[in-house]
Amino acid sequence: MSLPPPDPQYILRGSGAQINTLHFRCDNEGPPLLFSGSGNGAVHVWNLNTRRPEKVLEGHSSSSIIWVSTLNSRETLISQGRDMRVCVWDLGEGRGDVTEAFVTGSVGFCQCSLLETSPGRWLLAYPGEQMEEVRVAEFPSLIPVCSLKPDSKAGMLMSVKIWQKDSGGCPEIVAGYEDGSVVLWDVTQRRPVSCLKVYSEPVMCLDFDSGRLKGASGSSEKVISSWTIDEKQNLQMHDSVELVNPGISQLRVRDDGKILASAGWDNNLRVFAWKKKLRPLAVLKHHTDMVLSVGFSDHHDPRQRLLAAGSKDQRISLWSIYNQS
Amino acid sequence: MNGRTGFMDCPGNDCPGNGTELRLTVSRCLRTVSSSRDVGEVSDALRTLLRYLDDDCHGEAAVTGEFHRVYYTRVLQVLIGALSADWMSGLSDGQRKELWDKFFLLGPPDQAVLALVDAIRSSSPSAGLERMVYVLEQFVNKGRIADLLWTRCVDVGVRSESAHLRELVLARLVSLPDLVCNRLHTNTPAPLLPQQYYPLLATQILHTLQRTCQALRAGQDCCLGFVAQLLGKTCVQSHSELLFGVLAPQLSSLTHHDVLWQRVSSTLLENVPERWTEAVVRGLIQALDGAEALSRVMGNLVMKNKRAQFVVTHKLLLLQYSLQVQGLKTVLGYLALDPERRSLLKQVLRSVCKVWCNSSAVRHTPVEQQLYVSRSLLLCVSLLSQDDIQELRTELLQCMLGGVQCRLDSSTERVRKIGMVVGECLSQKLDTPTSQLKFQFEPDDDTLELRSLMEPPSAQHVPDPQHSQRTEPDSEGQRSAGQPVTSQSPSANQSSAPKGDSDSELDSDDELTPYDMSCDQEKPRVTPPRYVRDCLDVLLSSDDAERVRMSLQVAEELLRKNISATQEVSVQFSKVLLHLEDRYSTPAFHSLRQNTMVALTVTHTEPVVKYWTTEFYGLNYSLRQRMDILEVLALSAQELCEPIADKHSSFVEPITDKHSSSIQTLSMEPVTTPEQCSGPVHWRHVVEERIQSKTKRLSRGVSRAPPKTAPNRFAPVAGHFFFPLLRNYDRPQVTFDLLGSDHLVLGRLIHTLGLLMHLATNAPVAAQMGRALLDFVWVLRFHADQMVRRGVLFAVCAVFLSMPSNCLLLELSEDLTETRVWLAEVAESDPDADCRSLAVQSLRLLDQALKTELQLNTPEHT
Repeated sequence: MSLPPPDPQYILRGSGAQINTLHFRCDNEGPPLLFSGSGNGAVHVWNLNTRRPEKVLEGHSSSSIIWVSTLNSRETLISQGRDMRVCVWDLGEGRGDVTEAFVTGSVGFCQCSLLETSPGRWLLAYPGEQMEEVRVAEFPSLIPVCSLKPDSKAGMLMSVKIWQKDSGGCPEIVAGYEDGSVVLWDVTQRRPVSCLKVYSEPVMCLDFDSGRLKGASGSSEKVISSWTIDEKQNLQMHDSVELVNPGISQLRVRDDGKILASAGWDNNLRVFAWKKKLRPLAVLKHHTDMVLSVGFSDHHDPRQRLLAAGSKDQRISLWSIYNQS
Repeated sequence: MNGRTGFMDCPGNDCPGNGTELRLTVSRCLRTVSSSRDVGEVSDALRTLLRYLDDDCHGEAAVTGEFHRVYYTRVLQVLIGALSADWMSGLSDGQRKELWDKFFLLGPPDQAVLALVDAIRSSSPSAGLERMVYVLEQFVNKGRIADLLWTRCVDVGVRSESAHLRELVLARLVSLPDLVCNRLHTNTPAPLLPQQYYPLLATQILHTLQRTCQALRAGQDCCLGFVAQLLGKTCVQSHSELLFGVLAPQLSSLTHHDVLWQRVSSTLLENVPERWTEAVVRGLIQALDGAEALSRVMGNLVMKNKRAQFVVTHKLLLLQYSLQVQGLKTVLGYLALDPERRSLLKQVLRSVCKVWCNSSAVRHTPVEQQLYVSRSLLLCVSLLSQDDIQELRTELLQCMLGGVQCRLDSSTERVRKIGMVVGECLSQKLDTPTSQLKFQFEPDDDTLELRSLMEPPSAQHVPDPQHSQRTEPDSEGQRSAGQPVTSQSPSANQSSAPKGDSDSELDSDDELTPYDMSCDQEKPRVTPPRYVRDCLDVLLSSDDAERVRMSLQVAEELLRKNISATQEVSVQFSKVLLHLEDRYSTPAFHSLRQNTMVALTVTHTEPVVKYWTTEFYGLNYSLRQRMDILEVLALSAQELCEPIADKHSSFVEPITDKHSSSIQTLSMEPVTTPEQCSGPVHWRHVVEERIQSKTKRLSRGVSRAPPKTAPNRFAPVAGHFFFPLLRNYDRPQVTFDLLGSDHLVLGRLIHTLGLLMHLATNAPVAAQMGRALLDFVWVLRFHADQMVRRGVLFAVCAVFLSMPSNCLLLELSEDLTETRVWLAEVAESDPDADCRSLAVQSLRLLDQALKTELQLNTPEHT
């Protein structure tokens, strides 16, 4: 008889709105932090030692926050809101000001994606003004690098992930579109390398494991699919797993590449084995409404790498799962 | 007389002289033995006599024969008489064996056994008795019985003996264990106990048959009459199982290859007197495995012997129902094996068909017998060839239609199922694949077994021991041939093993063990209603299957929680539930609906019960709805009887006092779950257990632990439940005729009334209820349907149990004798086992009521 699934380690309450996005920052400079972006435009900075919000940032004029991340330190925050703006925050020494902001022009829900190409230099992929457009800009200089538009009618850009091979090399982008296809873009050549039609419904979310050159995507359907990039830079279907209830809001592969977590519309978090085949491992029940985001902690101690889930029921649950070795 | 014949039989002229000499010698010796006190003298005389016993010693066969015929019994009697003589104690053990025992073991065995058994019967415990029993044991062990049988087979002189003597020997041999045991009681030696004696007798018979075969091969005539009689008599005295346990397998294997043995065994069976044929044939059928063995052993007996034919084709199949399935297969397979006997099989099928489709038989025979007849029918059909079936098609069709119909009318589920499965099986044989009968029912043991009978019997038959011995080397050869194969397979495994390892190595990153994911279920689409009225609205008008399901699931809880809201809409809710149909095949629909109805009844008892009882006799309800009403009333009454405190915590409460708590849980059974809701069985169980416990307690006089006190919520409203149900039963309507064809509901109604009566024990209204109920059931005592009769008896039990005894006797006063006679008759002769046991219980309860009443009355008078 297998073990019953674990309960959450603890719950963070009090955001006052649905939790759209989560981001961990657990470096050695201070207590581990969890940034959460909620539906009422606030970014909460949670101290995971005291389990209380250290700071609440409001800078998107009460528009829903859809993505948060940090740059080189815990003191530089970047956030994206439904007000079509991307803001950079300075949180050093108790400050909480927007230092820079630019307008993306995107009215969609697509989250940005950040890649550190060399220390202190980043590439930011973000949805552009046209619905199907992916723009790439250098950070912090904010110089636009390119704009990628598919030729065919792929529909609105739904999800994007910018990545670079572990060995280095040119940055690439995988993007999911409204018609259910996933496209691999070469940023330097500015052209699509490969296209794979994964779903008949829009791709709601995707994540990519640059170590294995393997990605996973979810949609409003009942299936989570994984796909790989072969030697000829072609996207290939790899595996898929059927769920009981349809709808995935977010997928995350843990940094060590062992497990994949999914945030489901059926209020459940699911954990899958990632290394080889997609194998269901656990169904975590806690939330009473849709789970909108998941995130894995980047703590240097693997045993403290928590799994966090933010839900429409305004709560964030933190779980300790498969981190005992 | 014997002497005279012996005289005349003697050939030659010197015989008279010899005869006289013999007579003189014998009488002198006997005189010595009986009167002398000198050990030596007696020994000499005995030795002289011994010489006559043995041909070799004396050399003259004629003298020995004469001695055997004329003097042997006399000598034995004298010897037995001399057991207490002084010289006996003077002899050593060896001498005793030599001089005394030998007489019994060497002479003609029939005379010896008669003398010994008679002497044992008439003597009292003593050393002499022990001696005789010892000799008898020797006699049996040394195979003298086989010698006895053998003399009866060949000896012409013995055959002409008087019938009386023959009977006497037969009786002694057959009942030897009984006769000895009567005298010796527990001291009987093991070989003379039935468990050892009869198998021994069987080997002796077998031995005799063996000798017969040898003699026949040598061209000698034999007569098996006596052996056959012995066989018959032993069987008829119900020792056939022990006897055939040894005899049947041996006969089966011996007749396997030897035609002579087949002839001998069938002749043996032909010679069994008619009055014992049945016992022998039945024993043989039960002991043999398989029709082929029976056919070999019995030959064509059924064609030659009218009695055997009657037994096999009629008595075993239609009048009795004691054979196991294997036995039935043997009998019918036997009939089917031989072309001559196949006509009998058709005849059997015809008569079985006639019985099977007889509706009176369906009603008046026990279910077990019906099952037995169904088995025979299916076996017959499965044994018939396609041509035979075409020939009998019309008859079979008639049988099937009539039989299935009258079974489907039955109110017993088991009978209905038998009807359905037999109908299906017959239709399978008779009809084209497109037009076969098909019923929907839950398979159970009966139906599976009946179905399996239709499968063609497997070709394998049990090989006889010799046969299997011969094949043994072959199988060994196969095994050795198979050896390399098996030794190869591990190496093949080994070669494949590394592959598996590498596979697992690849897998090794997946050391993550999955958690239990059974809770991962589909997310419900709709939320359950939170208010009673919402719930009602959904049930009343919603077309959404999911919402109806959710509403039904939460309805019971809602109703029980919101009592005041429930009371506002209780009757309306009841109406909706009563008419609710399972349109969306909701899981557990019936139990959910029933529990909700019970919740309604319990929360707002009076109006809802009034509604139920009125609607029970209302127009245009289906039988199912009426039955539902009855079930709900019964369950609600049960729940009302329950102490309130117990209702929710009964399963948590530890059982402290076993006795009281068992009674409590029995009578206060919580609301039945769907699986249990076969209604009456469950209630009856409850009450029967209670009756049992009560009966025992009174007879033993053990005081009962005081039950927990709690207010009974049922007592004040019992009348509301009870009396309206009795109001309209005799007014038939277009759609509902309680006293006519709707006896299913009638049976359930009476059951429910009985249960209400039982639950109202100690209520003030119990006496009136009992009176009304007795009046009601009195006219239904002899109802044709067994469910109704069962209900009536159950109700009577409940009345006897619940009504105060003085009221009971007052009520019964005129009919008391008649009631007792009726109950006694049911207890004795009702075809239904439940009815019988209920009647017995009623009688017991009635007697107790009488007894207590008399005991109460007598002290007042004195």
